[in-house]
Amino acid sequence: MNTESPIRKFTGASKYVLDEELAQIVNISMALEMPLLLKGEPGTGKTMLAHAIAEALNMKLIVLNVKSSMKLVDALYQYDTLTRLNDSRFGDSTRDVSRIEDYIRMGKIGQAFVSDERVVLLIDEIDKADTDFQDDMLDVLDQMEFDIIEIDKTVKAKYRPVIIITSNAKKDLSDPFLGRCNFHHIAFPEPKMMRKIIEAHFPDISKDLLEHTIRAFYRMREFRGIEKKPATRELINWIRALKADPDFRIKDLIKGEIPYLGVLFKKSPDYTIARNAVSRMRI
Amino acid sequence: MFTDFFYLLRQVGIPVSPTSFLRLQKALSMGLITSLDDFYTAARAILVKSERYFDLYDQVFAHHFEGAELKEPDAFELDEVARAMLDQWLKNPREMAEALGIDEEELNKLSPDELLQYFLDRLKEQTEEHHGGSKWIGTGGTSPVGHSGFHPGGMRVGGVSMNKSAVKVALDRRYRDYSQEGPLTQAQIGEALKRLRHMVPVGPKDVVNIDETIYQTMKNAGEIEIVFERSLKDRLKVILAIDNGGWSMEPYVEVVQTLFNHARAQFKELRTFFFHNTIYDYLWEDPPRIRKPFKVAELARLDPDTRFIIVGDASMAPYELMATDGSIHVEERSGKPSYERLQFIAETFPHSAWLNPRMKEEWPYTRTISIIQEIFPMFELTIDGLEQAVTHLMQKN
Repeated sequence: MNTESPIRKFTGASKYVLDEELAQIVNISMALEMPLLLKGEPGTGKTMLAHAIAEALNMKLIVLNVKSSMKLVDALYQYDTLTRLNDSRFGDSTRDVSRIEDYIRMGKIGQAFVSDERVVLLIDEIDKADTDFQDDMLDVLDQMEFDIIEIDKTVKAKYRPVIIITSNAKKDLSDPFLGRCNFHHIAFPEPKMMRKIIEAHFPDISKDLLEHTIRAFYRMREFRGIEKKPATRELINWIRALKADPDFRIKDLIKGEIPYLGVLFKKSPDYTIARNAVSRMRI
Repeated sequence: MFTDFFYLLRQVGIPVSPTSFLRLQKALSMGLITSLDDFYTAARAILVKSERYFDLYDQVFAHHFEGAELKEPDAFELDEVARAMLDQWLKNPREMAEALGIDEEELNKLSPDELLQYFLDRLKEQTEEHHGGSKWIGTGGTSPVGHSGFHPGGMRVGGVSMNKSAVKVALDRRYRDYSQEGPLTQAQIGEALKRLRHMVPVGPKDVVNIDETIYQTMKNAGEIEIVFERSLKDRLKVILAIDNGGWSMEPYVEVVQTLFNHARAQFKELRTFFFHNTIYDYLWEDPPRIRKPFKVAELARLDPDTRFIIVGDASMAPYELMATDGSIHVEERSGKPSYERLQFIAETFPHSAWLNPRMKEEWPYTRTISIIQEIFPMFELTIDGLEQAVTHLMQKN
C-alpha cells in the first residue's frame, strides 16, 4: 500500500448493514493482506459480506464455490487435454496445438491472480472440501503464486486479492489453515440490528409490519426441536412474500396466523413442528 | 507490547500462536489500531481462531484491561477433571468409589449429571477446605429413579429381569475391558480407520484416464480411443445406529463415533442415530434420546443404497425383542415387536451389518443375539470384525 492511494476503507454497502466490529475486522484484514475467515449460522450474511465489500470498494468479485469433490488444481487452472486431443486430430481450430498454453484455462483463484486490478476473492463454504484442499491452499495463499506444471510457468498474483473465506463449520478447519487467516464469527443479529437490516432491504416497509414480522420471527426461532432455525435470509424472503400477497393483513400476524411458513422452515419435520407451535402462538 | 496479555490468553488455554501475535504487532505498528475498542476486535480476529474461545477471550480481555476479576483458572480445569472422573467412574465404578471412600451403591443412584455435579462439589471442597473423610459421603437420597440407563442402578426401570439383574450382567461385562484382545479401544482407532478406508465408492465412469487414452489411441494407430475411469464422486451414505442405552455399551459409543467421524470426509453423508437395547418405532438423533425422534418407518424414504451399520451388544431380555410392547421404556409402547422393526430395516437396506462389542464365543449363550443374527449379519467390534464387516458391506447386491 503506497502513500498516494489512501487506504480505502470498507464502511458498508447499500444492502448490507455492517456492524462496526465487523467493519474494523474487514479493514484490518485488508491492511494486513490476510484472508478473513467467516463462520456463523447459515443465512447470516457471510457470503453477502464479500458482495458488499466488492460493491462498496468498487472491485470485481470472483466467487469460488467449493464443492466436496474439488481438488485445489481445479480452482487454480485446468489443462484441457480433450480439446487439444481433438484439435490435433481434426486440425480445424484456431488454436495452436503445439502451444500447451492455449489449452490452459484459469480457475477462479487463477483468475483472481492474473486480474489486472485488485479483486475480491470469495472462497465459499470451504468446509465442504477435504482437508487436503485446505492444506494445499495454504501455500498458494501464503506465497500468492502457483505453478502450472504442464508449461512450467509460475503464476504470481499481480495484486493481492482481498480474500474472504466462509465456513459453515460442518468440519473443523485445520490449525495451520486457521493460523493464516483472521477469524470472525458472525453472531445472529439482535432484534435491533435485524430491524436495520430489514430496513436496508425494504426501505419502504411500514413500521407495523416491521415490528410484527420481527417479533414473530424471533418467537419462531425459539421453537423447540427445530433443526434449522430460520435466519436472516429466510426472514427477508418471508417479508418479500408477505408484501407480495395482496390478501395479507398485519392483523393476521397479531392473531397468530402465520402465512408462508414454508419460506421460513424448509425441512419437513421442522415445518410440522412449526405449524403445530404456531397454532398455539399469540403475539 | 501486550506480551502479558498474550501469555494470559495462553494460560487460560486459548491456542494463540506466536506468529499471530507478531501479526498483531504489525497491525499495531501500521497504525490501524487507535483505540481500545479497535484493539479488542482486531486482537480477537487475529489471535482467536474459533468462536468457542470468544467467551474466554472476553473474560481475559476484561481482566487484563479493565481489571475485572478473572475466574480462578482452577474453575476451568475443575470442570475437566470432574468430567474425567465421570468417565473413569463409568468404566470402573467400584475402584472409583473406593478411591473416594464412599459407598458404590450411593453413587449408583445418581444420574450422570448429578454425578458430575457431585464430583465437582467434592473437588471444590477438596481444593478449598480439606474437610476430610466425613464430607465425602454422598448426598445420595435426592436421586431420581434413573431412566437414562447410564448406570447400573438406572437400568431396570419398566421391566423385570428374567434371570439375572442388569447390574450383575453389567458386572460380568466389565472384565472384558481388561482382556488383551478385547474390542476396539481408543488407541486402536488409527488401525480401525484403515479398515474403513476400504469403504470405497463405486461411481459412474466419467473421468478420462489420460495415460490409458494415449496408450490405447497409439495402439489404435491414431484413431482416438478415450478411456474413462470411475470417478470418486458418488460416495457412500452411511447410517450409524448406536445402542447408547445399556451402560455396558458406554465404553464403545465414543470410540465408534470418533471412528466414523474421522472417516466422515470419505462418506457422502453420515447420520448417527441412537437407541436403547433394540429398535422400536423410533430412532433418536440426540444421544439422550429425548428431543429428536426419527420414525423408523421414515427410513424407507432414504436411499436404499445407504450402508446401515448398527452397533450394539444385542443382549437383552428376549421379550424386549419379541413382545409387542417389549420396550423397557414406558413411553415407547409401539404395537409392533422390535423383531419386525429390525427385519424392516434389514429389508430396506440390503447393505447392513451389526457390530457387536461382545466376543464371538459368547454369542451362542445369549438368545437375543442368535435371533438378531438371523436378521443382520453380525460382526465383532474388533479390528478384524470391522474388516469383515466392511468387506461384507461393500459386496455388490
